[in-house]
Amino acid sequence: MTAPLDVSGSAGEAAPEAVLEGASGKAIVGRSLGQIAWMRLKRDKVAMGGAFIVVFLILVAVFAPVIVAMFGHPPLDFNQDQIDPATLAPKGAYGGMSTEFLFGVEPLNGRDLFSRVVYGARISLLIAFLATLLSVVIGTIMGVMAGFFGGWADTVIGRTMDVFLAFPLLVFAIALAGVVPDKAFGLSGDALRIALLVFIIGFFNWPYIGRIVRGQTLSLREREFVDAARSLGARGPYIIFRELLPNLMAPILIYATLLIPSNILFEAALSFLGVGVKPPTPTWGGMLADAVRFYTIPHFTIVPGLAIFVTVLAFNLFGDGLRDAIDPRSR
Amino acid sequence: MITYIIRRVIGAVLMLLVVSVVTFAIFFLVPRIAGATPEAFASRYVGRTASQETIQLMAQRLGFNDPLAVQYGRFIKGVVVGSEYDTGTSVEKCPAPCFGYSFITQQPVWPDLLDRSRVTLSLAVGAAVIWVIAGVSTGVLSALKRGSFFDRSAMGIALAGVSLPIFFTGMISLVFFSYNLGWTVPGGTYVDLTVDPLQWAYSLLLPWITLAFLFAAGYARLTRAGMLEAMNEDYIRTARAKGLPERTVVVRHGLRAALTPIVTIFGLDFGLLLGGAVLTESTYSLNGLGKYAVDAITNNDLPKVLGVTLFAAAFVVVANLLVDLLYAVVDPRVRLS
Amino acid sequence: MSRRSILATAALGTVLALGLAACGGGGAAPTPGQTGAASAGAAAKDEFNASIDKIWNPSDKKGGILKLANNGTWDSLDPGNTYYGYSFNFIRLYGRALLMFKPAPGKDGNTLVPDLAESLGETTDGGKTWTYKLRKGVKYEDGTEVTSKDVAYAVARSFDKKVHPSGPSYLNELLDWPKDYKGAYESKDADISSAITTPDDQTIVFHLKQAFGSFDYIVQMPMTMPVPKDKDTGSKYQEHVISTGPYMFDKNEIGKSFTLKRNPNWDAALDPNRPALPDGYEVALNVNADDIDNRIISGDLHVAVAGTGMQTAALSRVLPDPALKARADNPSLQRLWYTSVIPDVKPLDNVDCRKAIQWAADRTGLQQAYGGELSGGEIATGMIPPMLAGYKKISTYETPGSKGDEAKAKAALTACGQPNGFETNISYRAERPAEKAAAEALQQSLGKVGIKLTLKPFPQGDYFQLYAGRPAYVKENNIGLAINGWGSDYPETFGYLQAIVDSRTIREAGNYNLSIKMPEVDKLIDSIKGEADEAKRTEMWAQIDQLIMDQAVTLPGVYAKSLLMRGKGVTNAFISDSQQMYDYVALGVQQ
Repeated sequence: MTAPLDVSGSAGEAAPEAVLEGASGKAIVGRSLGQIAWMRLKRDKVAMGGAFIVVFLILVAVFAPVIVAMFGHPPLDFNQDQIDPATLAPKGAYGGMSTEFLFGVEPLNGRDLFSRVVYGARISLLIAFLATLLSVVIGTIMGVMAGFFGGWADTVIGRTMDVFLAFPLLVFAIALAGVVPDKAFGLSGDALRIALLVFIIGFFNWPYIGRIVRGQTLSLREREFVDAARSLGARGPYIIFRELLPNLMAPILIYATLLIPSNILFEAALSFLGVGVKPPTPTWGGMLADAVRFYTIPHFTIVPGLAIFVTVLAFNLFGDGLRDAIDPRSR
Repeated sequence: MITYIIRRVIGAVLMLLVVSVVTFAIFFLVPRIAGATPEAFASRYVGRTASQETIQLMAQRLGFNDPLAVQYGRFIKGVVVGSEYDTGTSVEKCPAPCFGYSFITQQPVWPDLLDRSRVTLSLAVGAAVIWVIAGVSTGVLSALKRGSFFDRSAMGIALAGVSLPIFFTGMISLVFFSYNLGWTVPGGTYVDLTVDPLQWAYSLLLPWITLAFLFAAGYARLTRAGMLEAMNEDYIRTARAKGLPERTVVVRHGLRAALTPIVTIFGLDFGLLLGGAVLTESTYSLNGLGKYAVDAITNNDLPKVLGVTLFAAAFVVVANLLVDLLYAVVDPRVRLS
Repeated sequence: MSRRSILATAALGTVLALGLAACGGGGAAPTPGQTGAASAGAAAKDEFNASIDKIWNPSDKKGGILKLANNGTWDSLDPGNTYYGYSFNFIRLYGRALLMFKPAPGKDGNTLVPDLAESLGETTDGGKTWTYKLRKGVKYEDGTEVTSKDVAYAVARSFDKKVHPSGPSYLNELLDWPKDYKGAYESKDADISSAITTPDDQTIVFHLKQAFGSFDYIVQMPMTMPVPKDKDTGSKYQEHVISTGPYMFDKNEIGKSFTLKRNPNWDAALDPNRPALPDGYEVALNVNADDIDNRIISGDLHVAVAGTGMQTAALSRVLPDPALKARADNPSLQRLWYTSVIPDVKPLDNVDCRKAIQWAADRTGLQQAYGGELSGGEIATGMIPPMLAGYKKISTYETPGSKGDEAKAKAALTACGQPNGFETNISYRAERPAEKAAAEALQQSLGKVGIKLTLKPFPQGDYFQLYAGRPAYVKENNIGLAINGWGSDYPETFGYLQAIVDSRTIREAGNYNLSIKMPEVDKLIDSIKGEADEAKRTEMWAQIDQLIMDQAVTLPGVYAKSLLMRGKGVTNAFISDSQQMYDYVALGVQQ
C-alpha cells in the first residue's frame, strides 16, 4: 500500500507475467489468453486443490457402484441388526461407525451412510451441472439478444429478468415441484424429478448469467473488431457467433463455474424441504431432512452436511481461482 | 426525477401483477391441466368424512366452478378494493388490501401477513446489522492488509461461509449451543420486541448469527474486491498526493466507492430476506413469513400462498426501487432519466 | 388425524440447560413463575405406565395454571367444526355436550355418562327416536340459561358444511332432515321438526332416518354443545366460543395461543364429572414438536395437547434414562396402521400374489418404521385393534420373529405364476415420515423375493380424494399397495370397521376402503346390524377379520401405541380408553 504504482503487488500476484518476462531466454512466443490463464491457474495451489477435489468427486459419482461394492453396503439395504429396536438409534458408538460401516448407519433402518453419501453425489452433481448448463444456455441467448439488439428487446428481456429476480425463489420452487404430477412428458420416477429440478433450478437462475452476458455484449458491441466486421458486410448472426460468443466464453465459463456450487446448495435446499428426488434414492438434502427427526444423533446430520460443504467449497475454490486466472483484476 | 419515480412505480405494480398471475397459474392452472376438477380442489378443504354433496357445496362457496380468469379477477379485486366474506351469520367486510380468507382456518390472510412479518423483520434486521458490520469491516481490513495472514484466513473463512447450507449450520448450532451447552434457547422460541427486548434479542441470537455468517462471508469478499479496485484508482492517488491522512483516504474515498455495489446487493438481499427467510425460519422453527409460506404450500391453502408470495415480491420490488433512488444520492455520476 | 406439515417435523428444538431455563423458557408461553415445576415429583413416585389403568398423583387441590402446547393448531375451536381427537378431549373444558365419556382411567373411561343431559338417551322404538332431558339450571358464561333449543340450534348450524367443514357429519346423515335443508344459516326459517324437536326447554328429541343403536356415542361429540343463536358468529364463532363448561376463553389469538379462565357461571353442583382443578389454562400453538418434548422433559410445560406421543428424537433420550422413562406412559390407541393390498391391480388380482406379500413382509421392520415397539405399536395381525370387540390374534401368516418367510413367499409367487416376482407401486403420504419409512421397509423386504416396489409419495391433503382413494387413479397408475391408517371415533367395532371394510361404501373418490370388496364381508355386516346378541356380534366381527386376512387384501402394520410424558407437577393424571391420552378434564397441577 505504499507506492501507488505498485503494479506487482505481493510477489505471487504478478508471477505469471513475471514468468513470461523472466523466460526471455527463450524466444517470446505469443501465447493465447487461455494459455496465460492456464499458467496462472496452475500456480494457484488453492484453486488446484479445489479442482482436485472436484475431479475426485466426479469420479466418486461416476464410479459410485464400484466404490460402494468395495467399501460399503448397497445404499438402499436395511441393516436392522445395527439398530436398537426401542430407541431406533444405531447400536454402536458414533452413529455405528466401524470398519464395516465407514460413516456409520442411518437410525431407524440401518442403511449405510457411506454408500448413501457416495450415491448422493451422483444426484447432486448431475442436477447442478445440468441446471447450470440450462442457465448458461438461456442466459447467454437472452443476454446476447438484449445486449446486441438493444432497444425494445433489451427492455423486454431486462424487465423479465427483473421479474425473475423479484420472485421469492424458494417458495416458488417448492410450489412448482409440489404440483407437478407423478408422470409427465413421457418421464416418471427419478428421471422426471431430476428433469424437473434441473428445469426449476436452471430456469430461475438464468438472469444471473443473462445480466453478465448482456453487460459484456454491450461493451463488446462497441468494440472496433465488431465495427470492422460490420463494415465488411457481416450480418447479425455472423457477428454474434463469430465475433461475440468467442469473446464471451471467458466470463461465461467463470460464472458457470461459480453457479455450480450455488446450484448444489439450491438442490440440497429443495431436497431438504421435501420436494427433491423422491425417496429412497439418496440425496444429501434429503438425508439432512431425515436427520432432523434424529437430531439427538448428530452424526446423521454431520455426514451429509459435510458432504455438501466439501463439494460446494471445492467448486468455489476452483471457480475463484479460475476467475482470478482469467481476469486478474478481480482479485 | 418525479417522472422517473412514477415510471418505476408503475413498473413495480406491473411486476407484482406478473408475479401474482404466475403464482395463480401454478396453483390453479397446472393442477387443472393435470386433470383436477373443481371438486378435487374443494375436497382439500372439507372434513374427513365429507360427502360428495358437501364437496360440491364447498367448491361453490370457494368459487372453484368459475373460470380461472374470474377467480383471478376476484382475487385482484379483493387486493385493490377489498371484498366481502360470508361467515354464515353475517357478511363481513374485508377492507383493501384484502388477501382473502384462508381456505382452512377461515381467518383473513392480511393480518396474518402483518403479524408474521414482525418475526421475519426482526430476523432480517438483526442479521443484517451483524453481517454488514462484520462483512464490510473484514473486507476493508483484508483489502488493506492484502496477502497477510489475516487476509488469507478471513477470506478462507468467508469462502467456507458461503459454502455452508444454512439448514446444516442451523441444525448443528442448535444441537451444539442449545442442546449440548445450553447457552441459547431452543428453536421455535420467539419473544416479541414489545414484550421484552432482551428476550427478543436472546431468542433470535442464534438465527441472527447463523444467517449473518452466510451473508457476511459474501459481503467480506465483495468489499475486499471493491476496495482493492478503488484503492488503485487515480483519485486515491490524488487524495494521497494532496496529503490527506491515510484514514480519510481509505474511508472517504476508497470505502465510499467500494460501497456502491454493496448497497445494491444489500437492497436485493434484504428485500428477499424480508419476503421470508424460508430455510432459516424452517430450521429454527420461527413463525415468520417464510415458514408461513411453506406451511401454506404444504396445506394447499391457496389464499395464503398467493398472499405471501405477493407480499414477499413486494418487498423485493420496493427494495429495488429504493436502491436505485439511493444510488442517485450516493453516486452523483448516476443520472436518473 | 392431525394434519402435520412437512416442516412441522423438519425443524428443530432442543432442551434448555437448567441455568437458563428461567429466562429462556418463557418464549412461547410467557408466564410469571414456573408453576408447579419447583415442587414437581414430591408427592407421587414416578413409574413407567403409572397413568395407565390408575390415577397418578391423585389430588383434589384446586389452583395453578396448566400449560399446554400444540405442534400444530386446532382444526377449529368451534364445537361444530372440530374433528381432532385431542380437541374432543379438550373441548369439554369449555363446553358441555349432552353426554360425555366418564373421566376415569382405563376401561372405565369408555363408559358414557350424562353431561348436559340428565341421563343417557331414551328410545322407545328400537333406536329411531332418541330423547334427552337437559339438566335444569345450567348456564352460559354470561349467565343466561341453556335450553334445549340451543342444542337444536347447535346441531342445525353444524349441518352447514360450507361454514363448518371440519366437523363430523354423523348427524347430517343420521337425522331425518327436511329435503333441501341447508343448515341453520341458509335455511333460517325451515321447519326441522322431522329431524329435531324440542317439546319444552328441557327436552330434545332426535328423529333418525333409520334405527341406530349407538346414537349415544354420537351425541357425546361436540356438535351437541349448545350455542346461543344470538351470539353465533358463524365461521368466526371460534374466536369466542360461549362456554358452558368450567372454563371460558380469556385471550384467544387463532393460530398462536389462547388462555382459558374460570367460568363464574359454571355450577359444580350441576356437573358431577369435572373436578375443574386448575385456575386456568395456557395453550401455545404451532410450537415445534421436538421443542415441546424437551420443554416437557425440563418441566417448562405440562402437556403436549395433541396427545400423539413424543417425537422420534426424544426416544433415544427418554428410554435409556430410567428417571425420564419413569415419567412416561405408553397407552394403546384405537388405531391401526396398515397397508391396503389392492386386488384391482395386476397381478394382485391373484390371491397367491397377495399372499406372497404377506409372507415376504418383515413385520418387525415395519414396526420399527412406525416408531418401534413403544412409540410405534404392537405388531398387528388383523384389522381390529385389541381394544375393540372382535379382536383376535390371527396366526395365518405367522413367521419366526415376525421377520417374514422367503421360502413361503416364493412358493406363493410360484403358485401365482410369477416365480420371479413382479413390479408394483406403493403410495404413502409424503408429509408423514413414518409412512415413508414403512414404504421403504416394505420395499426392502419384498424386494428380497423379487417383488419390486416403487415409492409414490402424494400430498396428504389429496391422498384419498385424488390418489390412493380414487379407484380410477389406482388402476391406471398401478398402485398395488397403499399405506393407510384408521382410527376409531368411539370405542365400538361397527363405527370403526364398517367404514373401511364394507364394499358398498366405495365411491368414485375419497375412499378410505381401498381394497376390501368381499360380498361375504358385506353380508356379515348386514347380519351384525340385525343381531341383538353382543357375543354373537363380536364373534362375527372376528370372522370378518379372519376372512379379510385369508384374502390377504390388507397387510396389517401395527396396533398403534404412543409414548406420552407426564409434565412435571401435574396431578390427577390418567389415560382413559376413550381418549387414549391424558384426560384433560381431570388433569390438575401442583402449586
